[in-house]
Amino acid sequence: MSEQPPTQDTQTALITLLTAVADDEFILGYRNSEWTGIAPMLEEDVAFSSMSQDEIGHARILYEMLAGLTGVSADKIAYARQPHEFLSCLLVERRKLDWAHAIARQFLYDTADHVRLEALSRSQYTPLANVAGKILREEKYHLMHGDMWLKRLANLSDESRRRLESALDALWPDALGIFEPLPGEEKLVAEGILAAPMQELQAEWLEQIAPYFEQLALPFPARQDESTGRYMPTIQPVYGGRRGEHTQEFAELWEEMTSVYRLDPQAVW
Amino acid sequence: MPIFEVFQQAREGKSFEHGGNIVAPDADLAVLYAREFYGRRQEAHRIWIVPREAIIELNDQDLLHPPAVDRSYRTVQGYSVRDALRATRGAVAGSAQPD
Repeated sequence: MSEQPPTQDTQTALITLLTAVADDEFILGYRNSEWTGIAPMLEEDVAFSSMSQDEIGHARILYEMLAGLTGVSADKIAYARQPHEFLSCLLVERRKLDWAHAIARQFLYDTADHVRLEALSRSQYTPLANVAGKILREEKYHLMHGDMWLKRLANLSDESRRRLESALDALWPDALGIFEPLPGEEKLVAEGILAAPMQELQAEWLEQIAPYFEQLALPFPARQDESTGRYMPTIQPVYGGRRGEHTQEFAELWEEMTSVYRLDPQAVW
Repeated sequence: MPIFEVFQQAREGKSFEHGGNIVAPDADLAVLYAREFYGRRQEAHRIWIVPREAIIELNDQDLLHPPAVDRSYRTVQGYSVRDALRATRGAVAGSAQPD
């Protein structure tokens, strides 16, 4: 294991990786915070708000790691970038205030993020491995939450099931975008900074969640390849986020999220 | 929706104290919310979550605060020991005097 920052040629790829993961957490945390005050019940309101704070907290840790590598402060990374500089996947930027949609997205994201964090916790770059290990412990609660709610919505009533299924149908192509290959990821894999390529992590993720979807008979657009045993999607993923290409929903989110910062970028808080 | 009473143990070995309650549709979600409301800030080492309906309440004032029958003989406060004490002290002091 190494505590040294990586060599210059892999530094750019590492910055891309950290930015992508941090932006996912930051944007999802922002979106989920929109449920504060309007979640289905008081207890859930507090729990869901707290989880969105967790995501933003994870983004902060990673932005600080980026700050160490780039010399740009974490606040600036979070609020002073232009929309096309954000590398979050499209899944996290969608805005639809429907509870089944929120739960379905959270479940898809948290289970995928779990696989990604496990890979990062095996990174040869020690600072990243340490941080990923810490975040993993906090994500345990998120997985519990997603598990309980997904099962409930799947079995509670015809309406909850119908809403959950239509949310999943809408979200799956975006969810596959979580594992859109990152520019330069082969360098990170070669140096052991990233334990496996994104597409391999995606197969691992699909394999892990397949039993859930089978048991609950929910939409699962993937199947196991007969010869390799590897899980492959049966639908076209939606990519673009990892190259900074976003939707109109992101533009609106960015406008609002950075509005206070842009009033006075020099302000000291 | 069911109400669950929540008890927190601050440290291993300490007794559990009632923290408050939560509303949850079932026991599994009650555990989830109890963690959020009563354990998120490392204030609890262990948490007990009890359905309110499982609690057996005793709230009979006839039993807990019995009516105005003189029961003072059962408690220390029921006895005036002052006079007895004074007499005993006097006797002890008297016997200590040389003749």
